[in-house]
Amino acid sequence: MPGDDPLIGAAAGGDAGSPEAARPGPAEAASGALVVCYGNPLRGDDALGWHVSELLAADPRLGGATVIWRHQLTPDLAADIKDASLVILVDVNVVDEPGVVSLRRVDAGGSEAGGSEAATDSAGSAGPSSHHVAPAELMALARELWGASPAVYVVSAGAETLEIGDRLSPAVEAALPAVVDAVASIVTRRGGPDPFGLRQGRLRP
Amino acid sequence: MSREIVIDPVTRIEGHSKITIQLDDRGEVVDAHFHVTQFRGFERITQGRPVHEMPAIMARICGICPVSHLIASAKAVDDILAVEPPPTGKDLRRVINLGQIVQSNALSFFHLSAPDLLFGFDADPAKRNVIAMARENPALAKDGIALRKWGQQIIEWIGGKRIHPTGIVPGGMAEPLTAEVRDRILGGVPDAIAAVERAIAWYKTDMMRWEEEAATFGNFRTAFMGLVDRHGNVDHYDGWLRVIDADGKFLADKVDPHNFNDYIGEAVEPWSYLKSTYWKAMGYPDGIYRVGPLARVNIADRMGTPRADEELEKFRWRVGRVAGSSFHYHYARLIDTLHSIEKIEEILRGPDILSKHVRSRAEVNRLEGIGVSEAPRGTLMHHYKVDENGIVQWANLVIATGHNNMAMNRAVLQVARHHIKGDRLEEPMLNRVEAVIRCYDPCLSCSTHALGEMALRIQLLGPDGTVLSDLAR
Repeated sequence: MPGDDPLIGAAAGGDAGSPEAARPGPAEAASGALVVCYGNPLRGDDALGWHVSELLAADPRLGGATVIWRHQLTPDLAADIKDASLVILVDVNVVDEPGVVSLRRVDAGGSEAGGSEAATDSAGSAGPSSHHVAPAELMALARELWGASPAVYVVSAGAETLEIGDRLSPAVEAALPAVVDAVASIVTRRGGPDPFGLRQGRLRP
Repeated sequence: MSREIVIDPVTRIEGHSKITIQLDDRGEVVDAHFHVTQFRGFERITQGRPVHEMPAIMARICGICPVSHLIASAKAVDDILAVEPPPTGKDLRRVINLGQIVQSNALSFFHLSAPDLLFGFDADPAKRNVIAMARENPALAKDGIALRKWGQQIIEWIGGKRIHPTGIVPGGMAEPLTAEVRDRILGGVPDAIAAVERAIAWYKTDMMRWEEEAATFGNFRTAFMGLVDRHGNVDHYDGWLRVIDADGKFLADKVDPHNFNDYIGEAVEPWSYLKSTYWKAMGYPDGIYRVGPLARVNIADRMGTPRADEELEKFRWRVGRVAGSSFHYHYARLIDTLHSIEKIEEILRGPDILSKHVRSRAEVNRLEGIGVSEAPRGTLMHHYKVDENGIVQWANLVIATGHNNMAMNRAVLQVARHHIKGDRLEEPMLNRVEAVIRCYDPCLSCSTHALGEMALRIQLLGPDGTVLSDLAR
């Protein structure tokens, strides 16, 4: 409900719209898309989100999307999500082998295919907290408060190390282009006959 | 036979603490300690660094209140440079500091404490979280999210980033304010005021439910300390230190913050890395005092802004001229937030707020500097010594949570005495021990910054180490 909360305002902008038969152009496709990259740039491979956000900000395929970076998912992001028609979360995970890029969908009910995010994201989760919430919890919050039900995807890469350090491991660094391409594919293929053009699961072993 | 209850950890990530509660052979509580078991060491790791780097380094102490450390640190470096920031530079520092207070107070009240207040301390911990709160009272949850977001946006827009902003520098601010940013912030003021006033109205309506907690959550006689301006109003950035006793009598007033060491001592206990500060005239451990929102509303003559002053009058009508219960930190925090929003508007409407002159420059002119300001949780002091080349030789930080350390320990003891009877450990007791710590919102742990399912374990141990009772979640 854009504009119903002037204090928060519209974060992602654009009209949620409905899928169309014809594939829209890049800017049109990206309208209403919110990409939230998150992680700690001083924790080894947890910096993936930060690096990806920098690359996406300069990527013409994401022209009409809003790309933001955060240390972690926090409840206030629900206010950004409320106006988005598509949300893509980018993080590392501790389940896949280092550098393996995966795609998972968070459904409208707030649950996630492929297991609980709490068990797999880099920060883990022991229930909603002020410091971070899991993707499903964040979506549940946006749904409870604003009735938001955007399509939500999590693009992640397996981490090799989350220890203190300002360098990505070689495996995760090599995965950066694939993560960026996965995000761009989700945004640009939206609205086509195969709206997201990607199958859930591993994208690049 | 004495026994001991251990709550370990009371924390999740960057904060590490535990609580021990000592029982005698009749099962009565005889003592309690709130242990901070992590060591940060910023005082040591900054030795050898150029003093100009101090604000940026010190901001890394905390991801919740980096602005507070930036402000106190920048003021300490100003002191070493013997430089006065231009008036507009000071005003912008005030605004960003108040933005920090708004977002941190919103976090504390709406995200951390409101679920306890909404569902009750006996409710299932799995229910006491922000999502359940959104379901039960969406308006309250939205207001909390909106207020925090607005405060963070102020930090981001003026400081450059919402976490660890870079805009506050020795001598003032890195960049002047633009009309566009000023207007964007001002555009959010009416809704921010409405949001906090709705929360105050809700809290006042509901607070009668918590009479027992108000009577037992750190309800005792102590002194209170904070900064006031020359009119006796709350001052979050500058001013004089004022200390009152439990009856409101001045123990000290118009104290130049540079002289805080003459009045405040620091003690170290073997069971905690968190220092305990005390009022020197009363000695240790009798010189107990509190800082933070409750102290600010207690020490000040007025808040200094119309709406907050009106609420302060009502606060004092309800709980007395000097509120003694730490439970009232919640109420005071909302008034503090309201005042901060009003003050942001007042400053931003000033005629010189868009002045380009926001920074003064100088080299090292003194070998020692002190910076004092009000952080969300209370008075924050940075004290540095440098050599003639401006290389840091020594640093000491006196943080709000240290000022409140003795009071927090005493509050845990009071709650434990009220709720622990015999050998049985029950969830409501655990909930309340956590909740009394949350009143102070100590900035050391995720335990007090966490909702819902906390990584808590409480054990009742016999003298031989046998676990007599075990409660975990």
